[in-house]
Amino acid sequence: MTDMPDMPDVPDKPNVPEMNQPALISTNGLSVEFNISKTLFNPKVLKAVDGVSIDIPKGSFFGVVGESGSGKTTLGHALLKAKPIAHGSVTYDDGEVRYDLATLAGPELKDYRKRAQLIFQDPYAALSPRMTVRDIIAEPLEVMGLTKTRDETDARVREIAAKCRLNLEHLRRFPHAFSGGQRQRISIARALVCGPQFIVADESVAALDVSIQADVLNLLKSIQAEMGLTFLFISHDLSVVAHTCDHVAVMYLGRIVESAPTRALFKAPKHPYTKALFSAIPSLDPDDRGRAQKLTGEIPSATNLPSGCKFHTRCPFVQPRCKDEEPVLEGVATGHSVSCHRWRELAQD
Amino acid sequence: MSASQGSQKAKEAYYTASQGQLIWARFKRQRAAMIAAVVLAVLIFSGLFAPFLSPYDPTIAGRDANYLNGAPQIPQFCDANGCSFRPFLHTVERTRSMATNFRWVETINEDERRYVTFFTRGSDYKLFGLISSNVRLFGIDTGMVHLFGTDASGKDIFSRTLHAIWTSLQVGTIGIAISFVLALVIGGVSGYYGGWLDSVLQMITDAIRTVPAIPLFMAIAAFVPAEWSAETRFFFISMILGLIGWPTLARRVRTHLLTERNQEYVLAAQLCGASGGHVIRRHLLPSFTSYIIVDLVISFPYMVLSETALSFIGLGLKDPVNSLGVMLQNVTSADVLLNQQWYFIPVIFFIVLVMAFVFVGDGLRDAADPYSGDRK
Amino acid sequence: MNLLDVENLTLQFDTDEGRITAVDDVSFSLAPGEVMGLVGESGSGKSVTAKALMKLNPRNAHYGPQSRISLNLEHGPVDVMALKTPREMAVVRGGAVSMIFQEPMASFAPAISIGSQMVEQLLIHSDLNAKQAKALSIEMLDRVGISDAATRFNQYAFEISGGMRQRAMIAMALSTKPKLLIADEPTTALDVTIQAQVIDLMKDLVAEFRMGIIFITHDLGVVAQTADKVAVMYLGRVVEQGPVRSVIRNPQHPYTQGLLDALPKLDDLGAPLRPIPGDIPSPLERPSGCVFHTRCPKSLGRVCETDTPGWSDTGPDHRAACHLYHPGGQT
Repeated sequence: MTDMPDMPDVPDKPNVPEMNQPALISTNGLSVEFNISKTLFNPKVLKAVDGVSIDIPKGSFFGVVGESGSGKTTLGHALLKAKPIAHGSVTYDDGEVRYDLATLAGPELKDYRKRAQLIFQDPYAALSPRMTVRDIIAEPLEVMGLTKTRDETDARVREIAAKCRLNLEHLRRFPHAFSGGQRQRISIARALVCGPQFIVADESVAALDVSIQADVLNLLKSIQAEMGLTFLFISHDLSVVAHTCDHVAVMYLGRIVESAPTRALFKAPKHPYTKALFSAIPSLDPDDRGRAQKLTGEIPSATNLPSGCKFHTRCPFVQPRCKDEEPVLEGVATGHSVSCHRWRELAQD
Repeated sequence: MSASQGSQKAKEAYYTASQGQLIWARFKRQRAAMIAAVVLAVLIFSGLFAPFLSPYDPTIAGRDANYLNGAPQIPQFCDANGCSFRPFLHTVERTRSMATNFRWVETINEDERRYVTFFTRGSDYKLFGLISSNVRLFGIDTGMVHLFGTDASGKDIFSRTLHAIWTSLQVGTIGIAISFVLALVIGGVSGYYGGWLDSVLQMITDAIRTVPAIPLFMAIAAFVPAEWSAETRFFFISMILGLIGWPTLARRVRTHLLTERNQEYVLAAQLCGASGGHVIRRHLLPSFTSYIIVDLVISFPYMVLSETALSFIGLGLKDPVNSLGVMLQNVTSADVLLNQQWYFIPVIFFIVLVMAFVFVGDGLRDAADPYSGDRK
Repeated sequence: MNLLDVENLTLQFDTDEGRITAVDDVSFSLAPGEVMGLVGESGSGKSVTAKALMKLNPRNAHYGPQSRISLNLEHGPVDVMALKTPREMAVVRGGAVSMIFQEPMASFAPAISIGSQMVEQLLIHSDLNAKQAKALSIEMLDRVGISDAATRFNQYAFEISGGMRQRAMIAMALSTKPKLLIADEPTTALDVTIQAQVIDLMKDLVAEFRMGIIFITHDLGVVAQTADKVAVMYLGRVVEQGPVRSVIRNPQHPYTQGLLDALPKLDDLGAPLRPIPGDIPSPLERPSGCVFHTRCPKSLGRVCETDTPGWSDTGPDHRAACHLYHPGGQT
């Protein structure tokens, strides 16, 4: 592990026996910070991700849920080394290689790029408007030098495109010819073409229509099953996450407040924020209007974080202790951890 | 069913159209811009082939000593003596005698016809400085024909106009080229890397932008050695125009890069490990090629007008290098205004040239906004 | 007496690629104090329909000859299609009818304080003087749950959070006490916990102000929680209409059924997600006959390809446009 001076206390990772699969990505106290003020004397730092410790098992579909300011996108980017890691450690281990992401550089970084890819949220901005679909999908191959001849590249592009249900004539067209769902499939094809092990899907279905959303989600699941990939699925939509992920971590203002296997989380959430998130989802049953625990107040700005437990300003169960002391992630059950001072007493309701 | 096949083909064409093709398709639909483009093409063509199209050498060497300050001569097909297929001019005879108080008086001899000839052998010239020839598009069998008249020393204004267009185009092109390269490099580095490099370069850009053109040229006019040839002077002026013209373009390049480099598809490329060079070449440059072309087309007339203005007040080009500004140096006397109005004919050409550039540039700018209809 | 009657509304746009039919023969009505959800995906024409009610569509929009939109206001019925000059339309826009948009940042001018914009609107549409307008605006800001309303009155749009901006927009829209509020995807851009607050707020306001609301969204859950009745649109046509309980619990049209099937539901985590096959056709390639036939799992073949289905009543006030229920067709 790298030696970090002035590191905030990294709590020990909760002792949660669970993963029968080894962790592909393992983070410990990961923090990502941005310098938002230019003055020398009072540098303001935005802690987008604050002390996150998760284990993503190999072959799993790991969901990260949160609202704006939760840091989930930054977390995803940090795991791909698209954002610099300020503190903490991140380890990538797929059986072949083992990388320490905090210090990764040079040729090892280039190799990591082959193994970890990103699918974007906005299908309209993620594709270069001036390149044909074939060129867009082929670009990673060409940049990374994975294929030698043009024919080889073409063959691989066609193979991946077929997996994503894009046919030959689509390859000749430009992005402006396609709908949102189709563009997202092109994005997925581009992410898959270099044969990665780990894919971060950043709100990949948020911009899609409902009828197409299901289609893309099914595609992702089938690709995962077929190619044995590990997904980090970032979303604000709990229902989508519930249906696709094996394990869900809930983030609030840069910290993980609860993390559990999907069924356990939805059956019996322990953290007040998680409970509030569930009750906030508008139910399809018009008569089901009596859900409790609507939250009051706004999400605090990430530059002006509350003290103690970050959620205390909106928590219906707040006590004086919550304002002063930051809770640590505690194990609840197998694979289930929560970060709340009062979870035990609240669970008895 | 062939209608749907036809529309299917049209849709497929739309789907596989590259950005350039889309822009061209949109451009074609704008009537004003297309007309302007045709006009512009004609003018550029006449400038390019000026030596071939003009009957005489525009310098002193080609002057018509017998026809000083002469009015325009328009060939006609018919006269009192009948019509002919070939256009012709009447001969003008100059006599002076006691009867006219020894002043030259011109009489038109309607019986002597001079026929316009085509593809005549004229004086030698070099097209683009490379191909030498002496075939000219038209001439006349005896004497000289002056479609736009002559100036005080007998130089044919028509020939001068065509060559002036060519000179102005050259000056504009050189100026734009220098501007463009500088703007691309400086604006590109500034926009792509940002940070302190950007701040420093912006300061330099702004400083250059504040340099006032007229005093600068006055200073240059004072310092330029008199022994420099007209050609050297010509290149020098073009270079200076380019060197003070780049800040505006650089700023646009920088702004565009600052926006584009945050686009997600750039991040996607970077996540594949693409180098900065690759990202710039394959993603960023194509993204603003259309805007840059529009900027260049719109900046062109400014270069031309700058050079015209400078030459007009005597700070730019001088005889024998021939440009509109140089030609206009002679129009400022009342005598010309009253008696030799044909000196102003080249002005019309240049107005048309500048307007054509402006309309084409506007049309391109409208056509090059490709993605406004694309977002959900 | 209905507040709003829309009959046979048809809208076409002239674009570079040809004439696009955005809205095709849409009819619905709204009673005072009723909330109607207008549900559809992209290309359904729901936003265009809403904008047509205030004649906010761009110049290249062509209304069909049969289109009729009439508002029944206090001083008599208003034929919106007949309004031509901006002065006539000012009666409708902002006065009797208000609209709130998806992106609140885009609705507020960035360089003018929120309060000034609210007061400006009041000065145009009511007889209040500046002082009264300011007092009313602050009261409205408070009513929508913005804390410290007097301070917020002087703030600028970028200074406050997304949820608060949306509330401020609601406050601004309601300060002229409109009879009809058109809400175009007002909660789509908000976080889910904030969305819940805004939905609650809108329901309270409906009860208090007795407004009619047209709530445009793609989120069936939001519609279920807020609307009394719902109209489902696909590619410019309304395919199903009815009371919200009826439509959501007992959807008749294959598209509505498909939409509901495609939604991930929290009460059944193991259920597979069933998308509607195919892609939404581009408006340039509008299918003939029933617009949904290219993706319909229950298509009846030729009749769906050639004939536009008429309305079939499938319950009290509940109707669907589908050949399946047509008396002449198969059941």
